[in-house]
Amino acid sequence: MSETLILLAIGLLLFGLLTVLLRRTESTGDERFTQSYDGSLPALLRFEDRRKEILERIFGSEDWNFVLGHASREIRQLFLFERKQIALSWLSEIRSEARAAMHFHVSHAGKSKKLLPMLELKLAVDYLSIRLKCGLIALVLLLRGPVALRRMVGHASHLSDQLRGLLEVALQTDAVPEKTAVSQ
Amino acid sequence: MRKAPIPDTVEDATRDLENRTLARLHGDFARLIYLASTRDYNSGRYEHDGLSFRYTKQVAEEALRAAHREVFVSLALSTLEQLVGQLEHYIRSGCAEPAELVASWNDSEAYRVLPPAQDDPLTVKLFLSNVKIALAIVGPSWREGRPNQDPQYASQLPPPGR
Repeated sequence: MSETLILLAIGLLLFGLLTVLLRRTESTGDERFTQSYDGSLPALLRFEDRRKEILERIFGSEDWNFVLGHASREIRQLFLFERKQIALSWLSEIRSEARAAMHFHVSHAGKSKKLLPMLELKLAVDYLSIRLKCGLIALVLLLRGPVALRRMVGHASHLSDQLRGLLEVALQTDAVPEKTAVSQ
Repeated sequence: MRKAPIPDTVEDATRDLENRTLARLHGDFARLIYLASTRDYNSGRYEHDGLSFRYTKQVAEEALRAAHREVFVSLALSTLEQLVGQLEHYIRSGCAEPAELVASWNDSEAYRVLPPAQDDPLTVKLFLSNVKIALAIVGPSWREGRPNQDPQYASQLPPPGR
């Protein structure tokens, strides 16, 4: 009997600890995301005006054609390696921004009384679509290299626009914490 | 006789900087290196004696920051071919020991200090990567201080000092 009580007490203690840890993780994640949006927008939105040109440089064929015509085999390999790293870095940026935006949105939408099911569904579909496209581009990049992505400048640009839309919706929910703070 | 008012807008300071200083430097690479060198690497603040004399410290700093960002973005978004051209021009016209410069930049990657702080990380990565590739393209032609006779590309380069 006493053993059962001890086990129950340990279980309750562990459950309590887990709840505290989860709440802390959630608030830390929110703070990180809110801080990145507080005052200064994430790089993706702040430097949006030049994003298209950057993607054209990374995925376009102009630089590759120049390297093909003017550089040795070693330099061509260096170029492909460098472009691959930049493209992967860009994909990683997109993924992490989308994940942070969704985390922020989910944690605040859960407390909101004005949930719009269609908007939530659209957000979820957009998020999954972004993740899927990132995965697809990364796969092409790893299997066939950056040169294979020459025709994907449009897709890359669209992915960037799609993330911007997602971030804008996440930013709209920025007002939610104030409301929930009042209601609590 | 009334004294002329001291101009104190960032636009005036920027124009002053462009006309008096940047216009004398040949090529965007030289301008970028110059502007990056006006920044204190400990504090991140820009300092320029001439500008600070004519304008407030804050206006001078803002003008230098804006000019640095503008030249950097222009180079970062240029094609690799243009960047190679700019780098060649800088090596040819502004450097007494081209081979040393190329070797030093390759070894220490000194060009990493050129981008302005708090710029877009992706733009900075693209710029640094392009400079690395441009150095690899241009480098062999300056080995031992004289242009290589690479028929594909470097043969078009005139001898250094010309």
